[in-house]
Formats: sequence, structure tokens, C-alpha cells
Amino acid sequence: MKKTGILFFPAFDWAISPTHPEREERLLYTRDQIFEEGIMDLPQIQEYHPRLAEPRDIARVHFCIPDIESQIIEAHLVAVGSALVMADAFMQGEVKNAFAIIRPPGHHAMTVSHGNRGFCNINNEAIMVEYLRHKYGVKRVAIVDTDVHHGDGTQEIYYHDPDVLFISFHQDGRTLFPGSGFMDELGGPTAYGSTINIPLAPKTTDSGILYAIDNLILPMLEDFKPDLVVNSAGQDNHYSDPLANMAFTAKGYATLNSKLAPDIAVLEGGYSVETALPYINMGLIMAMAGIDYSNLREPDYVPDRYKESPRNMEYIKSMVEKQWMVYKNREELIARNKQQGGEFHRYAKSIFYDTEYIHEEQNNLIRICPNCAGYRKIDSRAQHRNGENYRVYCISIPANACPQCHEQARQAYLDLRDNHHFELLYLQDRINDEFRSRDLLRDIEKVL
Amino acid sequence: MLIGIDVGGTYTDGVLFDEGAIIAAVKKPTDQLNLQNSLLEVLDELLKSANKAISRIVLSTTLITNLLATGRGERTALILIPGHGLPPQSYDICPDTYFLKGSVDFRGNIIEPADKNEILEVIAQIEKSGIQRVAIAGKFSNRNNSLEKQLGQLFAEKCPDILLVLSSEISNKLNFPRRAATTYYTAMIIEEWKQFAAEIDKAIKARNLNSEVHILKADGGTLPLEISRSRPCETVFSGPAASTMGGLALTRDKLNSVVLDIGGTTSDISLLIEGQPLYASKGANIEGKYSQISAFAVRSAALGGDSFIQLQGNVPLLAGYRKGPAACFGGEAATVTDAFNYGLKLGIGQAQFSQKKLEELARQAGINADELSAKVIDLVVQQLQENIEAMFKEWENEPAYKVWEVVNKKKFSLQRIIGIGAAAPPIVPLLAKRMGVDYYLQQYSDVANALGASVVRPTLAVDVHVDTPNDFYTVNPSGYKGKINQRNFQLEDAKNLARKYLEEIGKQRGMDSYLDQSSFYMEEQFNIIRGWDRVGKLFDVGIQISPGFIKEFKGVAK
Repeated sequence: MKKTGILFFPAFDWAISPTHPEREERLLYTRDQIFEEGIMDLPQIQEYHPRLAEPRDIARVHFCIPDIESQIIEAHLVAVGSALVMADAFMQGEVKNAFAIIRPPGHHAMTVSHGNRGFCNINNEAIMVEYLRHKYGVKRVAIVDTDVHHGDGTQEIYYHDPDVLFISFHQDGRTLFPGSGFMDELGGPTAYGSTINIPLAPKTTDSGILYAIDNLILPMLEDFKPDLVVNSAGQDNHYSDPLANMAFTAKGYATLNSKLAPDIAVLEGGYSVETALPYINMGLIMAMAGIDYSNLREPDYVPDRYKESPRNMEYIKSMVEKQWMVYKNREELIARNKQQGGEFHRYAKSIFYDTEYIHEEQNNLIRICPNCAGYRKIDSRAQHRNGENYRVYCISIPANACPQCHEQARQAYLDLRDNHHFELLYLQDRINDEFRSRDLLRDIEKVL
Repeated sequence: MLIGIDVGGTYTDGVLFDEGAIIAAVKKPTDQLNLQNSLLEVLDELLKSANKAISRIVLSTTLITNLLATGRGERTALILIPGHGLPPQSYDICPDTYFLKGSVDFRGNIIEPADKNEILEVIAQIEKSGIQRVAIAGKFSNRNNSLEKQLGQLFAEKCPDILLVLSSEISNKLNFPRRAATTYYTAMIIEEWKQFAAEIDKAIKARNLNSEVHILKADGGTLPLEISRSRPCETVFSGPAASTMGGLALTRDKLNSVVLDIGGTTSDISLLIEGQPLYASKGANIEGKYSQISAFAVRSAALGGDSFIQLQGNVPLLAGYRKGPAACFGGEAATVTDAFNYGLKLGIGQAQFSQKKLEELARQAGINADELSAKVIDLVVQQLQENIEAMFKEWENEPAYKVWEVVNKKKFSLQRIIGIGAAAPPIVPLLAKRMGVDYYLQQYSDVANALGASVVRPTLAVDVHVDTPNDFYTVNPSGYKGKINQRNFQLEDAKNLARKYLEEIGKQRGMDSYLDQSSFYMEEQFNIIRGWDRVGKLFDVGIQISPGFIKEFKGVAK
């Protein structure tokens, strides 16, 4: 029988600030619990050693402004490198599934990274998915975001990619950061229905969340037939989380993971460091390794303390039904969009970086291509914390781009070389695995 | 004068050491049924060469390893207080396991109290079963041992004759199953070890030696015989530890080395990283169970000088066991030693018998004896190299929990192989050549284990865990739990506390002269935050006297 791979990297020497929720102590009690339980010694478990990710692994997903070095520190390279270790272990058949218990987290980081938002600088899951596509030729991926906060970074990165099914359930954006993830955020015109959001009312319980799993998420996964299922495993739906207001339990999280059966889980948020995380992490490990978790519970757990209200259950049922219809009819709509759409789909976006108080303004162009997901051009501007103003232009070629889009996008990069409206110009060519950045004022190009 | 004796599986080795020189070395076959006799026989032989008082005797013995491996320990019950978490069936330690209610968390809070009626019922059941030894282990008893203590007291009242061992007194480190296994094994063999210790004590007194007597531990340090009575499990795997320390005693430098002890049927491999022995990260593995016993990382390959050569079709293979000595020493079959003896023209023993047996075997394989010995030599060197490299890989793949550990992780680059054991001299030079590194062999290589035992110093590691909001600290070893009684407690205070207990426990163990050699090996502090405010701190501080040599040891004269 194959083992479950675990990479526990608590980054005991990294914090946003000493009293910030994202601080050194965050996984301390989780360490105490999993070490004391001795779960790493069990024959079902294989523990792994972290490694540092390469800058090009990050460039495959992000445009770091002005460059990778100024957006990340070594802790990020180890966290994302750990996710890559788990990805390798899974793809090489060493383990049946894998769980990267890592920090810093990543699911709020978007394609363009001007700084830290929602405690994230770079997106661990997206970097892992693009690594898997590049190294192992994985095509279709489903990412289920089980964090209480909407996984807006991951959603943004895969918004136009019909080969990535991104599903996020979370506390309703009207009541919680980042204030997005509503039912009508469904993907770009050529990837409609491959983004599905399930906004839940505060105080939603195990039965409400598990209803959505059973009746919407699992049927979608079954239909989508991904090569790989990733759990973007936040732990802050827990009833004791200080930053959110849900009523999910450790056993609920374990049950969710048994049902979801992710190939790779990557830890995201969760800030009830003492009363929830140790038990949820145990629950996830046990569920993934097929160990009976009926004896697991939080110290203050009282059975049936949180009961789903009939009204909320009705709301969840109707939402599940609506989103299922969207998902079922998506291909029809995509075909219509491709027929009706012009050459480019254009949209503007304002992004707020809560951790660093940065306001970014974006203009996006995505090519409506009959043959592929289309390449993307982003005109982005923001003032950084150090006072620097940046206006940059980013061109992204997806891994599944057609030859025509590939060529057009590369030509667009060449055409803009002498454009002095921007300070920096970037090309992200995932087909050639080539990543260029050009300082347009000084005429210096860097190639990764 | 110093004496070191290593009672091994095949041989008992002894060394009499004085002022940098080996005065006498003795090697005798071990009598597995009477280890004391083997030990005393070697001791008496060594004493014949002693012309001064023997100040210190260090013993390494396989007694505990054997008792545990052959299941000759007494039937022992294990009572677990596992609380919530893993299912009870995952604790596969002992056939007579009982579970009790009660739960403690990582901060030492009692989450669920014990159930007295349930306890009394279990006591009655154990009493009825006739079991006389009981090990008790609770999850997080290293943070709060009151549930263990309560159970222990009730037991002592109800059945005063039953031998009890509490896990919090054995180890205070995290890992409940390892702590439970160590406690269980301790209860199982403690009486047998006490008896052995008493006999040794008596024998030493009968010889009017008046020497200090110490036992070698798996971590390469010594423990006074007296103290070992309550901690018998620490003496497991002291044989490989003796070899590793022997390799270090001979070389005494900071090179990255492999210590390769090639015995009759097995080769033990350990690593010296910049001159420091590498520890097994999960503790000594006793009968397939990890324990809380600190031990060197030792990899055993089923390959030794007496491994005999088999044919599969006409391909030579090495058998994983021993039929007898090499042909050149009167054995029946051609062995690894014979292949090297013939192939390299070493002239060991009666070399013509090596040749004769190899020729017989070569004929069956349809090749000549030269080809056969070349193939066997190649096979041996290749297998050893694979084992050594697998060990590097394991070390490189150890988990890491801090950014700097990952950023600064080095690859193990080997500089030298230190050969130990009777079969090492012919094999090690070829292996070193193949791996492109230096080697070290010495005339006393085959008794390096006993030499190592004779000159190593005591070791001691003390950890304290401090929880300022809950106002307590716990100490490993001893399981002592105290109150802090101090405001604004800082890391420096935690370090002082650890040092104080190192000194206290060190003095009980007669380690006064080594206390100034201590160093901190772990200094962790974490803020405890409520809301956005710090309400206190957690500290984990460890201080140790690491493996090394007694002060009078300045190296071995060649």
C-alpha cells in the first residue's frame, strides 16, 4: 500500500510581524500535536524534506514588480519549494497523495504581484500547478479552495483557463476579506463555468458545507475528470477562528477531505492556532492516510452545538442547484462567446493589497481565440510602500496556447520594446518556459 | 589505567589503556547464554597486564538488546491514557494494553479527568491476570503528568507489589508512542538489568578493584552503573556506539567520515559529520518500534568477512548469514575473507585453503578462481558503497522546520572511511579507492570498539519546556514539573533553568568535572498571542554534554 506524503514546514523563523496572525507560533501547537501523536512514525506516512523553489518556478505564474527578488524572501521559496517536493513525490508515484503543511500561504496572490495581500506574496498552488504542467505534462486540474476567505488570487490566475476548474467555498464576501467570490464570478468568456464560487452565510456548519461537497463539488469533479485534484486547504472555517465567523469542525474538515480525496493538499489560512489548527491538521493527515478519525475532536468540542438552520440549508440548496446549471451549460455559453466576441475581451480591475495598503489599477486584454484559451496582456500600475510608482506591461502566454496566439504574443512583446509609457515590460512564455523582463527606461533585459 | 569491554554478538573485546597506549587487547568468543562470564573472562585476562590501579571500567553489552530481541523479558502490561486523536488500535506496542479515559493538551491543561471507577476496574483486571509489571503512559504527560501520577498512586495502594514505571519519569520529549514503547520496554527488563548490574558490582568488588564502573549508552556516552539501574533501555545498541566512538578516538579530527565496522556477518555504518557522530532522528529503533532512546544513526548491512559465497546459476552471491569462519581459518565454505585473501594475495591464515575452496566453487560456475574472487570483491565493495550512499541520502532528506535549515543545508561530502573490525583491512582500501576518498586503518582497528568504550566521557542532555501563562516548566529527564514564580521570564532565564538542572542531574551522576563542557543545542521561544497582544511565552531549551572523551585521553600512540 502506498503512503501519504507529508511535508511539514512551519517556518518557525518567519512572521509578518510578532503579533500578526501569520507569525512564528502559527504551527507550533500543530507541531506539538502531530509530534506527540507520533503520526509521522506510522507506516502509512512518509515525511519529506523541503527544498528551495527556483525563480523560474515563480516567473511561470507571476509578474513580480519590479522583480522576483524584491517581492519574496527565502521563506517563500521554501514554502513553495515544499509544495513542489510534494508534487514530485505524487507524480513519481512515491505516495498515493500528499499534504504540504507550509507557510507562508499563497491563495490571495494574483498574476501581477506588487506586494503582499491577504498575507500572500506568491501563489503556492498556481506555481505548483504550472510546474506540474511544465514538468509532467499535466493538463486538466481541479483546485478546490476550502479556506474561509475567497481564493481570489487563484481565481484570477485561472479565470481564463478552461482546463482548470477552480471551486471556492467561503464566507460571503459581503462579510469578510477579500470581499469577492460571488456567484456571478464564473470565469472569462472562453472559460465560463470553470470558476465556481459558493459564498456561504456566516455560521454555516458541517452539514451545510458537506451538503455543497456532496451535491455540487463532487458531481462537478466527476464530470470534469481532472488529471489532478488540489485542495487549497485553509482551516479557518473552524468555529474558533478569530478572523472569520463560520462553524465548521475538525471532524468536518476530515470528512471533507475523505470525500474530496485530493491528490495534493496545500495548507492555506487558519488562525485559530491553538484551538483548531492542531486538530484540523491531524484530521487532514488522518483522512488522507485512510486512518480512522472518529476519535479526533477539539478539546472544547460539544456534539450538536452548531446546528444548521433550515433557512440557511434552503439557501445552500438553491445555490447548489443554480451553480450546477451554470456548470452543466458552460460549453454552450463558451461556444456562443467565441462566436460573438471580438478579437479581444477587455476589462479593468482595481486590486487592493490589504497587508501593504497598495492600490493597483489594471487594464486587461484577453484574446478570444477559437482554438485556445487566448493570451493575456495586462497594463498595471501601482504605488509601492517605498513610494516608487510603477506602470508595467505584462504579456502572458498560457501553457495550452495555440501557435497563432503564441506568435502574436511574442510579437506584441517585441513591438513594445521601445514604448516609454511603461517602466517595465514582461513576457511570460509558458510554452517555451522563457521569462523575460525589460527595463524600458534603461534598455536592460533579463531572461530566465 | 582504563579498561573498556564490549560484549558483542560474536566476540567480546577488551582493551587495557594507559597514557595514550594500548597495554593489552583481548578478543574472545561471546557465550550468549552467559554474558557475565564472557565479560569477566576478558576482564581477568586484561587485569593480568595491569601494573597500576584501574581507575575506570566502561562496559558495553548486548544484554538488553538480546532480552528485547528474544522476547525474554517478563510479561508486562501497558496502560495508555491516549485522549483524543489517533484511534487506539494504532498503538501496537504490547499485547496486554489497557486504555483509560483522561486527556491532556499540549499546554498541559487537563481536558478530561480520569475516571476512578474505570481505573479500579483495570487494576482489578491486571491483578487477576497475574501480571507483575506495569508501564503507564499518557499523551502529553510530558506537559502534565498528574493523570499518570494519580493512576500510579492508586496502583501502589491497591497492589503494592507490582512494579510500576511512569512514562514521564522515563522521557519528557514529544512523541507519545515512542515514550510508551520506551516505558514498556523499561518495565519489561528493569529487574533483569538490576540483577546483571548487581552481579557486575559484586564481581568488581570481589577483585578489589575500587574502580568507577560505567555503562556505555547508545548515544556514545557513559552512565554510572548505579544510575543505569533505573534506565536500562539506554544501554541498547551500545556496541555500534562503541565502534563509532572508537573510530573517532583513533582519528580525533573534524573530517566528514564514515565509520565502517566490518564484522563476521554484518557491517555497521555510522557517520561523523565534521567530527560529530550523527544521531538517529527518530531515536533507537527497538524491535521495529521507535523509542525515546537517543542513539547514533547506524545502518547495518548483512555483509561481513564470514559471509559465504553462494552460486545462483553461475553468478556468485553473498549469503546474508554465517556458516562458520573463513576457509583460511578452518571453515567449510569460501567466504568474503577468502576471496580477498586469494584475490589480493594477502596470505591470511592458511591461504591455500582459501584458494582450494574458491577453485572448487569457480569450477561449478564455469570460471577460474581469479575471475570468481574478482567478482566477489567487486560485489562486496559495491554493496558497501550503496549502503553508505543510502545513508547520506537519508541524512540529506531529514525534515527541516526553519528557513535557515533549508537554506544552509549542505550535501554530505565524504572525506574518509575509517575501517574497524577484523575484516576491514583488506576491504576498506578498495572501497575508499572506488569512492575516491581517503581511508584510515590502524593496527588496533579490530578492537577499536573496546578502545572507544574505555575513553569516552559521560553524556547528558537536559531539556526544559517553559509555559509562562500557565506558570509551569517541565524537565527531561526526571519529569520534574515546577512553577516559574517570576515575572518577565525571558530566554536567558530559561537557559539558566536548563543549566541549573544539568548541573543538578550531572552531579547526581558524578559528572562534576564535565559540567563546564556543556553547550545549548536547542533554544526556541514563541510568543503566545491573544487577539493582538502578547500574553506570555513558550520556551524549549536544551543543553547537553555531547559525546566526547575523558580529559586524560589525548589520542592513541601508533
